[in-house]
Amino acid sequence: MSAANATAGSPPLTVDALRCEGLTKAFQGVHAVNGAAFEVPEGKITALIGPNGAGKTTVVNILSGAMSSDSGRVFLGDTEITNWPAYKIARQGLLRTFQLSRELGGLTVLENLLAAPAVQAGDSLVNVLFRPGLVRRQERENAERALELLEVYRLYRHRDTRARELSGGQKKLLEIARAVMASPKLLLLDEPMAGVNPALIEVIGEYILDLKRSGVTVMMIEHNLGIVEKICDHVVVLAEGRTLATGSMSELRSNTAVVSAYLGEVINAGAAH
Amino acid sequence: MLYYVFTLVFFLFDYFILAMGLNIQYGATGILNFAYIGFVAVGAYMTGVAGMPSNITGQHYILGLGLPFPLNTLFGGLSAMAMAVIVALITLRRLRTDYLAIVLISLSLVLYDFCNNFVPLFNGADGLYNVPAPLTKALGLNVNSFIVVFACVTGVVALILWFVMARVTNAPLGRSLRAIRDDSTVAGALGKDVFRMQLKSMLIGSFYAGIGGGLLIQFGGSFNPTAWLPGETFVVFAVLIVGGAGNNIGMFVGALLVETLLIHLPAFLPEIPGHPGLIEYIDSALVGIVLMVMLWTRPQGIVPERVRRAVTFGVPDRPEIDARELGSAEVLGAPVAAATEGAK
Repeated sequence: MSAANATAGSPPLTVDALRCEGLTKAFQGVHAVNGAAFEVPEGKITALIGPNGAGKTTVVNILSGAMSSDSGRVFLGDTEITNWPAYKIARQGLLRTFQLSRELGGLTVLENLLAAPAVQAGDSLVNVLFRPGLVRRQERENAERALELLEVYRLYRHRDTRARELSGGQKKLLEIARAVMASPKLLLLDEPMAGVNPALIEVIGEYILDLKRSGVTVMMIEHNLGIVEKICDHVVVLAEGRTLATGSMSELRSNTAVVSAYLGEVINAGAAH
Repeated sequence: MLYYVFTLVFFLFDYFILAMGLNIQYGATGILNFAYIGFVAVGAYMTGVAGMPSNITGQHYILGLGLPFPLNTLFGGLSAMAMAVIVALITLRRLRTDYLAIVLISLSLVLYDFCNNFVPLFNGADGLYNVPAPLTKALGLNVNSFIVVFACVTGVVALILWFVMARVTNAPLGRSLRAIRDDSTVAGALGKDVFRMQLKSMLIGSFYAGIGGGLLIQFGGSFNPTAWLPGETFVVFAVLIVGGAGNNIGMFVGALLVETLLIHLPAFLPEIPGHPGLIEYIDSALVGIVLMVMLWTRPQGIVPERVRRAVTFGVPDRPEIDARELGSAEVLGAPVAAATEGAK
């Protein structure tokens, strides 16, 4: 457990699915991440919150391998994955979604899911040419599972639609379904509720809870503190690229540093509305 | 007449092969390979020097292995693949989209100048000539019957390569390539080794370029730098865009319209009185006009990339779910946990 967590006074949770220490990342001298350190407990839903510019997305980019850190270390379970390429990290079971939905637009909705399993027999030219039976069999199994997921995520009707033609909310669902199709151990969701209608926020929240129930560890960046309070077990607050505090949402509400850096801002913004 | 028709048939099938190679690189993977004609040239030259004996007087070239058809052609295809490995290692790891395209076109120019000026390699600006016409001795062919037979052989090779390409592009490999084309960051985040996949695409496409080049030099009996001016790459791109990027059948249609009807057919038309040679030069303008019209009115090409429907994966269609999703109230209670059970 980190020092930040200890200072917040929360009890130890469980085994850590992910741990990062002293992460830094600067862009032309500006420190987007400046010593972030926290743990993501296994089997729980962790929220990563903080004001705009706190470095949340940069941290997720570093954790998922989309960006390399200048210093610091990242552990997925017991394996150090610091600055591994994204594809290797994904193959270790760490999947992510993006702040702005990034569907594979030219592929159908079903194909988006079928593209998700990292290692497929049909990705090998030798298998494609000389073991077509094996490729076909695995493809059918994957298609069956993908269609089940599409049914769950209410996208079955759109299975043959090119993903670029979906609505914004449907694209959010597609991204989550695609990540689930990849059988993640740990799922990083970058603002999964951003830009979706209130009814869909509830639905996505339920999906995330179901992922937790099926054993997937989730870490999500989220500004909607109502949903964070409702579904998240653990919260990490980032400010100016550093970990300000960790703990449960109720604990953080009484943390003056957190209130002055972020919660006060959010509460004031809410009052203004 | 037979000579004209089968010459057109040869170019149709040869450009079908070339377009399929570019299609997997650009149409499927999104690699803007502006050096494509360079790979065709490597295939042509290497096929030539693999098939020619070592002692033809008046020409300077490497190897001279005297390999028979189709081994010489295969050698040309593999040589183009070898060049693709070098080019990919230099470019693909660090460069994307427009930067990659600029570097590739520069590489093509370097290769062109090198082959044009370094005589010991492929006989410099004169190029290779008197390249043995395959199958003539074995089948007792004369000049005209060779054209007929070799056009048919090229057709058979094109059909085999189309079958292989269809299998590749319809497989998960093809889907992974299209995922990289659509968003390489997402593909990487899903565990796809983007560089390795792009390398595969480059290798397959370059093999097709090499085979197409190899057939070209054997059909004409010669090959020199005027045959592969860097602008020739854009003719293959025109075939691809007119036919429909991402669709192998579209490549056949594109080859028929652009290469056969627009570029080669006018060369066989009678001269316009008072304007000798005009018809031969009008083809480039025609290709340009058709390309602009296509990009303006039908950018997806005549035969667009096909939608791969769920039923093609061998799973039963379940219209009852379609009906249920139309009534949104019921789906709000969908059994999420059941399907996500296998997630971990």
